[in-house]
Amino acid sequence: MSESGAMVRASGLTKSYGAGPTRLVVLEGLELEVATGEMLAVVGPSGVGKSTLLHLIGLLDRPDGGSIEIDGTATDGLDGAQRAGLRNRAMGFVFQHHHLLAELDALDNVALPLRIGGAGRRDARRRAIELLDAVGLGDRRHHFPDQLSGGEQQRVSVARSLAMKPALLLADEPTGNLDRDNAERLFELVAELHLKAGLTSIIVTHNEEMARRCDRIFRLAPRAVLSDNVRTV
Amino acid sequence: MSLDAELHVARRYLVGIRRRTHVATVTLFSLIGLGFGVFALVVTLALLDGFQTGIRSQIATYGVHAEVRPASGRRLLDPDGLVSLLHAALPEVEIVEVVRGTCLVGSDTDAVPASVIGRSDTDRVTVDRILARRIGAGAGDNVEVISARQRLTPMGPLPVRIRTTIAKVAVPEPGMESGAVVLPLDRAQRLLWGEPVVEAVELRDPADPWSLGRRARAALADSGVPVTVAGLDELHRPLLTALALEKVMIFLAVGLMLVVAALNLLCNVAMVAAEKRTDLAVMAGLGFTPRSLRRLFLILGVAIGLVGSVAGAVLGSGLAIVLDRTEALELPTGVFMVAAVPFKVDPGTLVLVVGVSLVLALVASWLPARMVARREPAEGLRYE
Repeated sequence: MSESGAMVRASGLTKSYGAGPTRLVVLEGLELEVATGEMLAVVGPSGVGKSTLLHLIGLLDRPDGGSIEIDGTATDGLDGAQRAGLRNRAMGFVFQHHHLLAELDALDNVALPLRIGGAGRRDARRRAIELLDAVGLGDRRHHFPDQLSGGEQQRVSVARSLAMKPALLLADEPTGNLDRDNAERLFELVAELHLKAGLTSIIVTHNEEMARRCDRIFRLAPRAVLSDNVRTV
Repeated sequence: MSLDAELHVARRYLVGIRRRTHVATVTLFSLIGLGFGVFALVVTLALLDGFQTGIRSQIATYGVHAEVRPASGRRLLDPDGLVSLLHAALPEVEIVEVVRGTCLVGSDTDAVPASVIGRSDTDRVTVDRILARRIGAGAGDNVEVISARQRLTPMGPLPVRIRTTIAKVAVPEPGMESGAVVLPLDRAQRLLWGEPVVEAVELRDPADPWSLGRRARAALADSGVPVTVAGLDELHRPLLTALALEKVMIFLAVGLMLVVAALNLLCNVAMVAAEKRTDLAVMAGLGFTPRSLRRLFLILGVAIGLVGSVAGAVLGSGLAIVLDRTEALELPTGVFMVAAVPFKVDPGTLVLVVGVSLVLALVASWLPARMVARREPAEGLRYE
């Protein structure tokens, strides 16, 4: 943990796509700090750059300008391998579309980050079984993604995101593709795991009700931060 | 990071590919392309090796296997000593002293230039079929052999000549010179030199002909006898060089099929890279380094190459062995020395072909693998 207590610190973050007259500036001079243990909701209209922000914090993309610190580590000078290592050790991702690998069953999908991290096959599978049990899918571990419902796929995705016991959970509209009941159940699961695992979570969502249940809401508007509203749970 | 995760994902991709029909189809065509290239190369080279083995076998069966010649000049200084030395060192080897020259060979009707060979292993006169036809003589006929060497007579210098009876008309052995008469050594010496000169010693060892030159060289190495030894490789260097060159050229020409197959593989791996764009981004998110992603695609390409190459090699060598054993492809008798098209599968050639195919598969996978590794993970997630 950093001395200041911030898990994520983004400063002067700028990101644009394209070049010349078609250049689209998505983020410009964005400042954001997420405290360790905080659950932050990022909301805003479509195309405003919510996912872009999450990708930049998750080191899946590089900003045009500005800097990002993760748990006190400046990420600017890191090469591809160091960024991948940090993602593997410190971050868990949940995407809107579950993005499970279709060729791997639930167990192998959850075990994959562990095997990337160097865990042996047996240890990785043991931990994956624990996580699948924790999300209520222990009996479906040998099912492939296309044999699971949307809600189940997303729960496997949550289990996968926690495989390496990360400090930071990044969720990009995790309930966006689920019906109301499944969305509610998934959010409860994420909130419960957030507390149990002592995570710092950043959740991009269109769902205002869920956003209000987070510690803080970070609102994005086109090329400007409109408000920074802190809410106590 | 260990290679474990990449191998695991690559294996699951290849096994799971059956579930995606279009990817499975192009992968299958990549496999078939490489497999067919290897198959064609293996069969072609087996055919070539079959014929070349036949030629080498003919060389070893009929001709001389090694020849000892004077290091300088035309005559061996101490042929008896040399023969004794060779007999002692190589008791299993046939040793024949020879002299060679050119004479006129004439019958009652005609006289033509011909090669004269004097050999210590014969005591009768043999004329080959071509020479016999030229001079119109056969077995039992008398011929006159006239040397270019002259002797002084009361009537002045006259060419040395002998009259002899043809004991046998022989078919020239493959690779042997035609238009020749073979005489007993002492008669040829009298005709060509006028004294017991030996120009060369021929060696034959049917049990191990190809190493005889080396063995003879070793036997004479410390003797101090001023001779040179030519083994089968040296005696037939132009032919053997031509055969080796032929094999290289055929390998290169038919090997171009493998290059085309490798380009097809490149397209396939690039297509899988495009198809799996999002998966790759997710894997990067989970911690795959750019190097790991590159290795994953290299493993995929090489795995496809390995399966295709091995299948092609097995089918190709199997077909070659079956065709050779059954003698299914018959050849017109009297034109070729063999009755059916011969095939020979050489394990070294097989390993070389599969190796080249794998290297091409590796090179073909490199480009898409590099493309994948250079991509930022978010690119694969942005347009999901």
